[in-house]
Amino acid sequence: MMGAETGALLEARQVIVRFGGLEAVGGLDMAVARGAIHGLIGPNGAGKTTVLNVLTGFIRPTAGRLVFDGEEIGGLNVNGFARRGLARTFQNIRLFGAMTVLESVLVGAHQRFSASAPALIFGARTARAAERAMIARAHELLAFVGLGRDVADRVATTLSYGHQRRVEIARALMSSPKLLLLDEPLAGMNALEKQEIADLVRQVRAQGITVLLIEHDMQIVRSLCDHLTVLEYGKLLADGEPEQVLADPAVQAAYLGRAR
Amino acid sequence: MDYFGQLLANGLVLGAIYALTAVAFTLVYGVVRLVNFAFGELFMLGAFLTTSLMLPEVRLFGTVVPMPGFPLPIAALGAIVITGVIGVVVDRIAYRPLRNAPRLAPLITSIAVSVVLQSLAQTIWGAEELRFPQFYLATLEPVVLFDSIYLSVMDLVVMATAVVAMLGLSLFIARSSLGRAMRASAEDQTAAMLVGIPVNRVVAAAFAIGSGFAALAGLLYAQTYGFAHSSMGFLPGLKALTAAVLGGIGSVPGAALGGLILGLVEALGAGYLPNGTAWKDAISFVLLVGLLYMRPQGLLGRPELNSAGRGSLLGGASAAGAGWLQAIFARGDALLARGAAAGTPAAFGLLAVAVIVGLMVPSDYWLRILTMVVIYGMLASGLNVIVGFAGLLDLGFVAFWAVGSYLTSILFVLVLKDGYGVAPQEVWWLLYLNLPLAGLLAAGFAVLLGTPTLKLRGDYLAIMTLGFGEIVRVVAINWMDLTNGPMGIRGIPAPNLFGIALGSPRAQFFFALALAVVVVFAVARLVRSYVGRAWVAIREDEEAAEAMGVPTARYKLYAYATSGFVGGFVGVFYAHSQQYISPLNFSLFENILLLMLVVLGGLGTFLGPFVGALIWIVFLQLALDLPFVQAYPETRFALLGVVLIVLMVFRPQGLAASARVGLTMPGARAKEAA
Ligand SMILES: Nc1ncnc2c1ncn2[C@@H]1O[C@H](COP(=O)(O)OP(=O)(O)OP(=O)(O)O)[C@@H](O)[C@H]1O
Ligand SMILES: [Mg+2]
Repeated sequence: MMGAETGALLEARQVIVRFGGLEAVGGLDMAVARGAIHGLIGPNGAGKTTVLNVLTGFIRPTAGRLVFDGEEIGGLNVNGFARRGLARTFQNIRLFGAMTVLESVLVGAHQRFSASAPALIFGARTARAAERAMIARAHELLAFVGLGRDVADRVATTLSYGHQRRVEIARALMSSPKLLLLDEPLAGMNALEKQEIADLVRQVRAQGITVLLIEHDMQIVRSLCDHLTVLEYGKLLADGEPEQVLADPAVQAAYLGRAR
Repeated sequence: MDYFGQLLANGLVLGAIYALTAVAFTLVYGVVRLVNFAFGELFMLGAFLTTSLMLPEVRLFGTVVPMPGFPLPIAALGAIVITGVIGVVVDRIAYRPLRNAPRLAPLITSIAVSVVLQSLAQTIWGAEELRFPQFYLATLEPVVLFDSIYLSVMDLVVMATAVVAMLGLSLFIARSSLGRAMRASAEDQTAAMLVGIPVNRVVAAAFAIGSGFAALAGLLYAQTYGFAHSSMGFLPGLKALTAAVLGGIGSVPGAALGGLILGLVEALGAGYLPNGTAWKDAISFVLLVGLLYMRPQGLLGRPELNSAGRGSLLGGASAAGAGWLQAIFARGDALLARGAAAGTPAAFGLLAVAVIVGLMVPSDYWLRILTMVVIYGMLASGLNVIVGFAGLLDLGFVAFWAVGSYLTSILFVLVLKDGYGVAPQEVWWLLYLNLPLAGLLAAGFAVLLGTPTLKLRGDYLAIMTLGFGEIVRVVAINWMDLTNGPMGIRGIPAPNLFGIALGSPRAQFFFALALAVVVVFAVARLVRSYVGRAWVAIREDEEAAEAMGVPTARYKLYAYATSGFVGGFVGVFYAHSQQYISPLNFSLFENILLLMLVVLGGLGTFLGPFVGALIWIVFLQLALDLPFVQAYPETRFALLGVVLIVLMVFRPQGLAASARVGLTMPGARAKEAA
């Protein structure tokens, strides 16, 4: 019932991740539909980040299969995942130190450069044109995520927390991904900023990019996501439409049980 | 059988000494994750202190000083205690401020500490060997086993001491509360801190015990081979580190096992392989490289120790340090930042200054020195690609330089002149062909050596590249047919252009300058593009770089290749400008010196390598006018080491850090602004 024919962009089948004795993910099946904003939720330590790490190649699962855009991707390197069109941000922001915002964002476009070493050394016109085009695109994306031109030449790690998150999103978008995976992009933000980022996510989807996001704020999740997957102790607890999933007593118990 | 037995006995003695030193590396690595390269020097201090305490008088600073003339056990105990204290002091001053710094910082610091200790020892005890005194035990008849194996009583004492020391240490770790605290910190430092283990005290204890073990090994070595010398700790230190890695760094039984294996392999290899004694140093390093390739965690080690810390000396370190020091640098920083912002015009300005200096300087002597500055600046620029931009600590860079120098020397002298009787003037153009050819050869070589290091990170990477560098040096010494061995190659012709000899110091300076323009231009073009951005991304956060689609393994190899190309390219000119090369020109010390120059000037800048080279080489000469330096020339190296340690603590990004390099194509940005 799952598969390319149903229009799923990414599918995980029977994914198991063990850290020593701990089973962080236990036999998870999930599918992210094309064009969706898919929420991955669950209490702290449920295994959400671990799943995202599996989906982006950071962790090779103990068992299980991954199919992305009709292709088996389980055996690839992390950069192979990125090259197929998966881009991500990190729960703990990981921007490159000592790089300016513009340079950091350009790293996201790495796979779109192809000039040879001689072309670079002798300043070939094609190499210059590619660089110019990507710089222009980087400025566009910085504006898109709500950052002014004045921040482009600042060292990224000196920006405010909220701005660093936006730079990370711009960097991920720079590769023109098919799927954008965001690990708690709203964490630590005030209500206004949360709304801004939620709008940003909608705009990203409007450009035809599928989004998978991890989030704890149920209000936002309810209004933003088309589909929810709920994890508890690494196992699938519920999966479906937000209203229906959030009304599920088991889901409510999982959250209430932990909220003490 | 007799021969085998004898080799076995030699191997056991050597193995015992390596094992004791390996314990030092392992203990400290276990609790602070630091490869303290300075243990080789503490080993040497143990030897000198014991020898000195046993003698009735010793020459210190060139004057005869009366000494107590203790018997061996008392002198040994004294030496061990003093060395232990030195180890703790070194940790307190040089390493403790860097506990939370990026991995490269303490690694470079420990290399600097080695240089300081070795230079100081040479200043104090002089450049000659200090003979180990005769004493009672050494005069006893050897013990004969199986009618054929001769073991001196001291050999037995060495082995017994090692066994007792190891057992004592194991008991200490298992039973005493400090030992248990050490083991807990080794398991998980944060957890140890949380349960209230005084981590600083545990680290100090590890340094004290480790240094004591190194001293013990050093004095046993001095006793076995009959001398102490300021550079004696260097090779045994590397071998012991090899042993520690072999056994699995962090594990005490592993260190014992690794030391024993290494001692035996070396002794048996020296005995059985053709021309084995000459190649025995290479054996250990081949073992090291092979092991790191196949099983980086060592025989008994844990794989997670091969992990990359995130961040670099440049990312976010700028605000650290004492206010007064920042104030000193503020002016220069502002100037450099303005220069860097100006970009190309500033570069042309600097070039113009160099040209004017080259035209104005009247003395040949100073022109030669300035040529050296340019050569070392270029070499340091090559090293900077891999260390400064890609963030991979490469201690085998000299090998690429050697490839270039040897290629051109072998072709010009051994093949054409000696082989076919072709006069160098007739083939002057070959030099210009050799420049790119050697660059490509060295780049290929760099990729070859780089490939097995791809799985390795941080400290292990440094150790493996160091192993490669040493292997190349041993090969250069021993492959007589190819390299003329330790005699080196003489009579390399000075550069020549269309029959015009460019041998004069002024011509050579300008030749070097022209090459420097090529090197800096090419490197700058690569760095200021997506390639440089990928390198810096790898340096700052390798995993995140991968996630952005950077094939990090491939880009590391590109960095090796670029660095190798520069090394080979410059090596060609170096040979023609020196007109004589030998394996001594390409020692690990040269590599360390180049590293220090890059760090001094500023990692990851174009200006830094030249600033470092200028300051250091000019200082080397100017200081010679001081009477004190004339008497103790090595103190200059000690000063360089001290400067580096201070820099690592207060300004890890180096002097010229503010000449920050932009990572986008200059032209592309200019258009955009318009
Ligand atoms: N590298 C690792 N090694 C061992 N255990 C790990 C590792 N990474 C995660 N875990 C464990 O796996 C479980 C799931 O962790 P994970 O980070 O995926 O949870 P999460 O749902 O993202 O939680 P949070 O909401 O706090 O971010 C936790 O118990 C965690 O301690
Ligand atoms: Mg998480």
